[in-house]
Amino acid sequence: MLEIKAVDAGYDFLQVLWDVSLNVEEREFVALVGPNGAGKTTTLRTVAGLLKPMSGSVIFGGKSIAGLKVHEITRMGIAYVSEGLNLFTNMTVYENLLLGAYASHDKKQRDDSLAYVFHLFPRMEERSKQLAGLMSGGERKMLAIGRGIMSNPRLLLVDEPSLGLAPYLAHEVFHALRALNEKGVTILLVEQNVHITLEITHRAYVLEQGRVALEGPSRDLKQNEYVRKAYMGI
Amino acid sequence: MTATTVPQPVRRGGLVQSFRKHTATWIAAAVCVFLTLMIGVAAGPTQFVNTLVTGGMWALMSVGLALIFGVMNIPHFAHGESFMIGAMVAYFVYTPLNALVQKHPNGVLIALVPFVSMAVATLAGALLGLLVDRLLFAPLRRRSREGWVMNAFLLTVGLSFVLVNGATLTIGPNFRGVPRYFDVPPLQFLGVRVTVDRVVAFAIAIVVIAILWVFLQRSNTGRAIRAVSQDESGAQMVGINLEGIQMLTFSLATATAALAGASLLFMFPAYPTVGLKPLYFSWYVVMLVGMGNVPGAIIGGFIVALLQTATQQFVGMAWEDVIPTALMIALLLVAPSGIFGSDVKGIQEQ
Repeated sequence: MLEIKAVDAGYDFLQVLWDVSLNVEEREFVALVGPNGAGKTTTLRTVAGLLKPMSGSVIFGGKSIAGLKVHEITRMGIAYVSEGLNLFTNMTVYENLLLGAYASHDKKQRDDSLAYVFHLFPRMEERSKQLAGLMSGGERKMLAIGRGIMSNPRLLLVDEPSLGLAPYLAHEVFHALRALNEKGVTILLVEQNVHITLEITHRAYVLEQGRVALEGPSRDLKQNEYVRKAYMGI
Repeated sequence: MTATTVPQPVRRGGLVQSFRKHTATWIAAAVCVFLTLMIGVAAGPTQFVNTLVTGGMWALMSVGLALIFGVMNIPHFAHGESFMIGAMVAYFVYTPLNALVQKHPNGVLIALVPFVSMAVATLAGALLGLLVDRLLFAPLRRRSREGWVMNAFLLTVGLSFVLVNGATLTIGPNFRGVPRYFDVPPLQFLGVRVTVDRVVAFAIAIVVIAILWVFLQRSNTGRAIRAVSQDESGAQMVGINLEGIQMLTFSLATATAALAGASLLFMFPAYPTVGLKPLYFSWYVVMLVGMGNVPGAIIGGFIVALLQTATQQFVGMAWEDVIPTALMIALLLVAPSGIFGSDVKGIQEQ
């Protein structure tokens, strides 16, 4: 479904990704783990269109999306939940969710997605009239994911959902992502919490210094000597 | 996953707290009430009507300015020229049409001509906005990343020069006005005589602002405009076409300014630099309430008009520009982000 082939990417004179290749199949839940500065976020930004790859190709659903504008990529079915969330802080939770479905003109689809978001995160329904900027960190994460779901994406890119969250809230977020994947949404997840990540995902890539260092089924990586030592402290 | 209920903190002394948090807003409100009462006592309802008409116009101008700043981060110094072009177009449409209609007098047609002129002026404004965005700001946006606000500012100042001098060159510096749009006796209510022109101008301002407000709050596109002003990346990430929204916003704002110029042709005759005063006053409004704050700009328009009326009434006609400006400078020293503040991204980043 998503195929990244030999991508070099970066910011002006600073190249971050070197020859990165990875692929995500339909209905898969794939993780991208690695230390700070390895290029995980850069990879997601490249897929989402916020960054143009210097070379290499990004193919989604059989079409090249490298160089397309962000909104065009979103409309093709990729939703990006960034680390900074990019919420509309001075709008209500409800308005943020509605904007998530901005590109879709199917009203029934929108209502279904809304009902699903409220089912997944009941707190969003309780707080639907509150301004997004006045919510707690955990609620904002949920809102950002919810907004991503509203576009009824085929592929959801999620960047560091557990960052800065209390463990039980992080757990809630992971639980929701798992449920979402089981419902059929393909997910590419970037996460620092390697332990839980390898628990819930199907496959994982380990990114180090802008290159793919390891890849394989999450189950196998969890047993991998190097991964256990470097990322799980075992 | 049960939602835990968080105990809400008990609110004590709501008013006192609110005063501490929004000191500038409260003081501004108090000053406005005081001035309104003073004007009412000293001058009677006629001055109220003047305040409302002027306020409606400043509000119409300022809303556009606030939108342009909020959505596109452009400090627009050619907004007055949109007003001027609106007035010019209205004049050149109204005069021949009116002469034509007067030959075969027909009540309905005569009453329609001003509205047709205003509509044409508004369309011309929308077109001008579209052209300026496509031909000037779109290329600049592609080239300028750092220092965007400064570059955009300089571009608008240059545009203002070109439009003013272009108008002088092609149309000439003469005053082209109409004594009145509607040649009927003034209306009477509550003992005040108001010309129909003023009533219409005020009604247009209020209706347009109301439509704009509902559009921004309720429609999908309006919501997208607000989304872009709050988080540009976020807006693109939900599938909003940034360029389209910027184009629409600029066109919309230019059209409202042109409409203001057209509907006030009886007060401000069309000449190349007629836009200066509306430009300055809409900037006062926008700075007073907080840059990019659209609802604030509506209220602010009326506050500035009130200040003007009060100055005319109690100090003298010639001080009309001086006192509101001086007050504004004093206010900005105390509350630099304006009386209502702003949460436009540009303000926070710079």
